[in-house]
Amino acid sequence: MSNGESPGFYFALLRLMATFRGGSSRRAEKNGGEAWIVSIATYLISYLFFAQFIPDTFGPGLRILILAVLTFLVWIFSVLALYLNSVVIKFFHACGLFRALPVRHAQSILVSGTASLMSFQLLRGGGWRTEIAAIWLIVVAMNLAAAAILALRNGDHSHS
Amino acid sequence: MNNSTSRLGRFAVRGVFWRHYLDWAAVNLPFYSYPVQVLFCTLFFFFFAGPARRAIVANLALVLPGSSRPMNYLRAFRTLYNFAWTIAEAAIHKLIKEEFSYEIIGSEWLEQLGAAPGAIVLTAHMGSYDLGAALFAEKFRREIRIVRAPEPDRQSAQHLSASLEQAGEGAVKVDYNTAGALLSFDLLKALRAGEIVSIQGDRAEGAVGQVSAHLFGHEVQLPNGPFVLALVAQVPIYPLFIARFGCRRYAIIVHEPIRLESTGKRDKDIANGVDQWCEILEGTIASRWDQWFAFTPIFAR
Repeated sequence: MSNGESPGFYFALLRLMATFRGGSSRRAEKNGGEAWIVSIATYLISYLFFAQFIPDTFGPGLRILILAVLTFLVWIFSVLALYLNSVVIKFFHACGLFRALPVRHAQSILVSGTASLMSFQLLRGGGWRTEIAAIWLIVVAMNLAAAAILALRNGDHSHS
Repeated sequence: MNNSTSRLGRFAVRGVFWRHYLDWAAVNLPFYSYPVQVLFCTLFFFFFAGPARRAIVANLALVLPGSSRPMNYLRAFRTLYNFAWTIAEAAIHKLIKEEFSYEIIGSEWLEQLGAAPGAIVLTAHMGSYDLGAALFAEKFRREIRIVRAPEPDRQSAQHLSASLEQAGEGAVKVDYNTAGALLSFDLLKALRAGEIVSIQGDRAEGAVGQVSAHLFGHEVQLPNGPFVLALVAQVPIYPLFIARFGCRRYAIIVHEPIRLESTGKRDKDIANGVDQWCEILEGTIASRWDQWFAFTPIFAR
């Protein structure tokens, strides 16, 4: 445990911005604000992805009911997806691949990758959902670029 | 208990399945997925852990007089939400040894406790005592014995004991207050040998010695064990609480020790210590009611 220092950042983009302000580029998993924003963003992308499959022919009452139930179904989906990811990672580790990468960091790659694939699909739909998907993809691209810059600057080989 | 009942029992609210799920999550979940996962898990348990929810609401009605019942249901949700974060972060600390920040309130008392030749840490079902014990053992390189009420589920109890001992890296030993007089003698011996014993003193569960006290103007039954031990062993009682202040941020709150002087009138001496403890406990609960994890009714009706 450590005592009373700044919480730091997890994502490369924020860590790079911190270094511009004279802060540390070291990855930290203690920033609650950062965790909340990304947690809600990944949930929102999944929610919008599944919500687009509700047929337009349904009445408003039924749509609201399905959207409410979908709130919980998306959570269950996320738990199942995380479990499947863990099985895939375990398989890779058993094959001797990516053993140096902690499971939760490998999960992070798979989660952000899945959310990005969903965002690509949402881009086709048009409307405000496209805006959200575009914002997600731009931020992911910026984060990857920041990770590359940090890697070049510090020899930081950790993923985004 | 037959096999099918045992299998289903794993999935009960206090079953071992959820403890295993938490351990799996600590290892497998990315840092940023916790907020949504914790929120939904809290919602799930808010609906399915009916007795705990009702107990929190009943306790809050007396802790916060004049509060409305609907508001207390929302407060119960907040309490369960804090509990979910606390046990999730305890699992993270135990399994992946991530860094946590902490601040100490009452550092002079904590230093004194760390150097004490035998002392009782009196705490409550508040914040993260797993983390607190592990931190204490790490900071002062001292062993600590935790006395706690037994879990109703045998497998959960085994898992919890193993977790506490693993988090403390061998410096934390767990005892359950079911062994009656044998445990009392064991603890007395430990205190006389200069060890530190941690006991939760905000409720008396099971067949443990009890003493009547008053919290928030209402009668409660508290364990008398810590006070009897302190009186007999002539060691100080340090009221200590661990409160969560944010994402992986905690505060260790230590109060001035309670010292029980033996005047020859045992009941009066114990009552004196209990009154001092109740004053501290009341102030702590009043300011941090959302982290008082009292999932059984505390107050006498």
